Amino acid sequence: MPEYVIEMNHIRKEFPGIVANDDITLKLRKGEIHALLGENGAGKSTLMSVLFGLYQPEKGTIKKDGQEVKIENPNDATELGIGMVHQHFKLIDVFTVLDNIILGAETTKFGFLKKKEAREKVAELSERYGLKVNLNAKVEDITVGMQQRVEILKMLYRDNDILIFDEPTAVLTPQEIDELMEIMRGFAREGKSILFITHKLNEIMAVSDRVTVLHKGKCIGTVNTKDVTKSELSTMMVGRPVQLEITKGESRPTDVVLSVRDLTVPSKVHKNDAVRSVSFDVRGGEIVCIAGIDGNGQTELVQGLTGLEKMSRGSITLCGSDISGASIRKRSVTGMSHIPEDRHKHGLVLDYTLEQNLVLQKYKDPQFQRGGFIRFDEVRKYADKLIEEYDVRSGQGAVTTARSMSGGNQQKAIIARELDRDAPLIIAVQPTRGLDVGAIEHIHRQLVHERDRGKAVLLVSLELDEVMSLADRILVMYEGEIVGELDPKKTDAQELGLYMSGAKREEKGEQ
Amino acid sequence: MYRLDKETGKQKFFAGDGTKSVISALISIFIGMLVGTLIVVFVGLNSDGISAKGILEGIKLIFLGLFSTGRDGGDLSFGFNVVNIGNMLFRATPLILTGLSVAVAFKTGLFNIGAPGQYLMGTAASICIALSVPTSSVPAGIVWVLAFCGGILAGALWGAVPGALKAFLNINEVITCIMTNWIAANLVTWFFDKSNLKNMTEAGKVGYTYKTSVNGVQTPGLGLDKIFAGSQVNGGIIIAVIIAVIMYVMMSKTTFGYELKACGANRHAAKYAGINDKKNIILSMVIAGGLSGSAAALYWLSGHTEFYWSTYQALPAVGFNGIPVALLAANNPIAVIFSGCFMSILNIAGMQLKTLTAYNEYITDIIIATIVYLSAFSMMIKTIINNVQKKKSEKGGEK
Repeated sequence: MPEYVIEMNHIRKEFPGIVANDDITLKLRKGEIHALLGENGAGKSTLMSVLFGLYQPEKGTIKKDGQEVKIENPNDATELGIGMVHQHFKLIDVFTVLDNIILGAETTKFGFLKKKEAREKVAELSERYGLKVNLNAKVEDITVGMQQRVEILKMLYRDNDILIFDEPTAVLTPQEIDELMEIMRGFAREGKSILFITHKLNEIMAVSDRVTVLHKGKCIGTVNTKDVTKSELSTMMVGRPVQLEITKGESRPTDVVLSVRDLTVPSKVHKNDAVRSVSFDVRGGEIVCIAGIDGNGQTELVQGLTGLEKMSRGSITLCGSDISGASIRKRSVTGMSHIPEDRHKHGLVLDYTLEQNLVLQKYKDPQFQRGGFIRFDEVRKYADKLIEEYDVRSGQGAVTTARSMSGGNQQKAIIARELDRDAPLIIAVQPTRGLDVGAIEHIHRQLVHERDRGKAVLLVSLELDEVMSLADRILVMYEGEIVGELDPKKTDAQELGLYMSGAKREEKGEQ
Repeated sequence: MYRLDKETGKQKFFAGDGTKSVISALISIFIGMLVGTLIVVFVGLNSDGISAKGILEGIKLIFLGLFSTGRDGGDLSFGFNVVNIGNMLFRATPLILTGLSVAVAFKTGLFNIGAPGQYLMGTAASICIALSVPTSSVPAGIVWVLAFCGGILAGALWGAVPGALKAFLNINEVITCIMTNWIAANLVTWFFDKSNLKNMTEAGKVGYTYKTSVNGVQTPGLGLDKIFAGSQVNGGIIIAVIIAVIMYVMMSKTTFGYELKACGANRHAAKYAGINDKKNIILSMVIAGGLSGSAAALYWLSGHTEFYWSTYQALPAVGFNGIPVALLAANNPIAVIFSGCFMSILNIAGMQLKTLTAYNEYITDIIIATIVYLSAFSMMIKTIINNVQKKKSEKGGEK
């Protein structure tokens, strides 16, 4: 029996203008949990796509159980027992859980479905690995955590024994993450081999046996998890020492900058209100964090605050003036910066150049126009200044099309634009989503810096680490309401998780 | 060293996006003409009335129709023909403007297939004003300006309808444009049917309005009528070119254009930035409609055109031809001037085919149709150019 179930030797994959994988070797042992760590754009997903048959490498070989194999499409991968849980689930919302699991591998007789056998097999698998699912429920009605279990069952149903997890914890609560880790350990004990793509160091330390680190398309090395520390790993990943815990001094809250009373925002998906009578204050010099599981009204809360959606009730006061019914521009001018949740939908005009995007709100300032004509030289000067100050990297500088920039640099551009407006209130929604450790560190530092300059920061985040390390106060949202206000120094991830999942709530009183 | 420098220079030239648009447009035109040639050959081979010489003449006219000077003895003669060029410029005028109408809307993310309807409304308004305001009491020049502005306004209002439906109810503008086109066609027919602007005096004419020159209203020649004596050309082409330049400046140099394009490229991001997306969508369609209206005004106010008002069963082709004009120009307002002229050249070639040979003018319609198809493939042609470049540079690297 060969030592490795999968060997990827000297893989090289090029895309126009970039080498995504440069001579990467990855060897997976039977029964191990092998983490693949790297920044965004390091080549993790490309490497896994090569293994899953979505891309053909220019050079290099893949061996399964010591035999060289050619994987030309995902069907080949499935035949070899390779399964993958994608970051964005590939499920059909209106099908039941069972139908989703058997889709593409149905048991049939004379062309008719034989669901009974399938149901027994799935039930047995779900029992054995502790993957609790309701087979008759429709996917659209179940939680994200359960959807992920469905994806895992899909792999098991196909008798895959090499399981690839692409950033599986991004959408889960702390409790669900713990459960997933336990499930993964169970697989390893059964002799299944797991490839686990992530950039979260805590999870790697908790669950993996070995780690392969990629950096800018190159393989930095493979190490035994127990021989390394988190900071060593992050140094390997980023290529320089990184400060993992943000250091920040005591907050010195000053006057109330944003005051929200009884804010109610209707939902676009269902008849109930998405935000229900929410009241809170944010003062200058503090970071207030809205924590919660995705879809509990955070998005709508921010849309109500920024004016992207109309609120149905309540009042918003910014810097002493009532902006409840004000236009988006009025709010922005009154003193609101907004780092939006979806940088492609709201944050950028992707077909505009970087410089055009950097003046997205400011193009009408006298600095940038005279008599309605854009002063292109001034725009260029300003853009170059921001690019320099905020280290926004792109192919052709100010005239690069935003679409062609990397996600991290797109986000940097948005942050540069929003912070440079020098507004007293900064609303940042998941500002580090999808970014790597180096970029996250940078953005966190900038937010703390703005706080120390006396700005009021309202941070909406799904990442518990981010919430715990940045917030001066935490407000937990659950089903459109604020169910608790916590002090990050006096709480922990477990307690926060209980509030987030609705298991615990403060009695509503005057705050 | 010299060769190397020259090569990098060439690569830079071909790397520009504008250059690629021009090349892909030229390729589309070339293939379109080729298809036209083939059809001339096939039609010629299959009809008894056309000899080999006739086929050759047909092909000559497709490529050189603009320079045809009729027949000299038995053979086609070619030369500098001021009448053809003047007529070409006259016919290019409305094409440039409807082309601009489609191009400006495209740049703001809207597909203005409503140009025919806007053109019809502009037609009705400008003819009505030009014929109804008595030049005995109001100077003809003023009436012309009123009629021109009336045409623009009517087109703009007609464009505003799909714009408003898109902005407030999020109804796809293509659907509403198609519907407003036919509403316009019927409305205009009904209006002229009930009016006293129908030409009843000339025998044998049914369904036409009076020429605006009957009331003494007519676009001034601005000297062009002297240069291209005997042709229909007038100052309208100069106005169209000025409007194209204004559109170019507006779209690429002003904050207004910045807003319009931002709404087109990403309505959500524009809204996020505090731009009034609804207002801008309506304004885009108002401008597009106004441009189509101006196309109509300049065509019908020439003084020697008669409008066939019973149009409820057919939409004016010049409205739809704005689409290929805009596509060929890659929606660049300045390029629209040239693509509009090109379409008009084909038009002239078609007329020459009809008068000088046994062929009819519909062959040029096929050429236009082919070009429209290929324009839609311009992205593909650009990709092919890219690939060829890449291969060349790879080969160069290996050497």
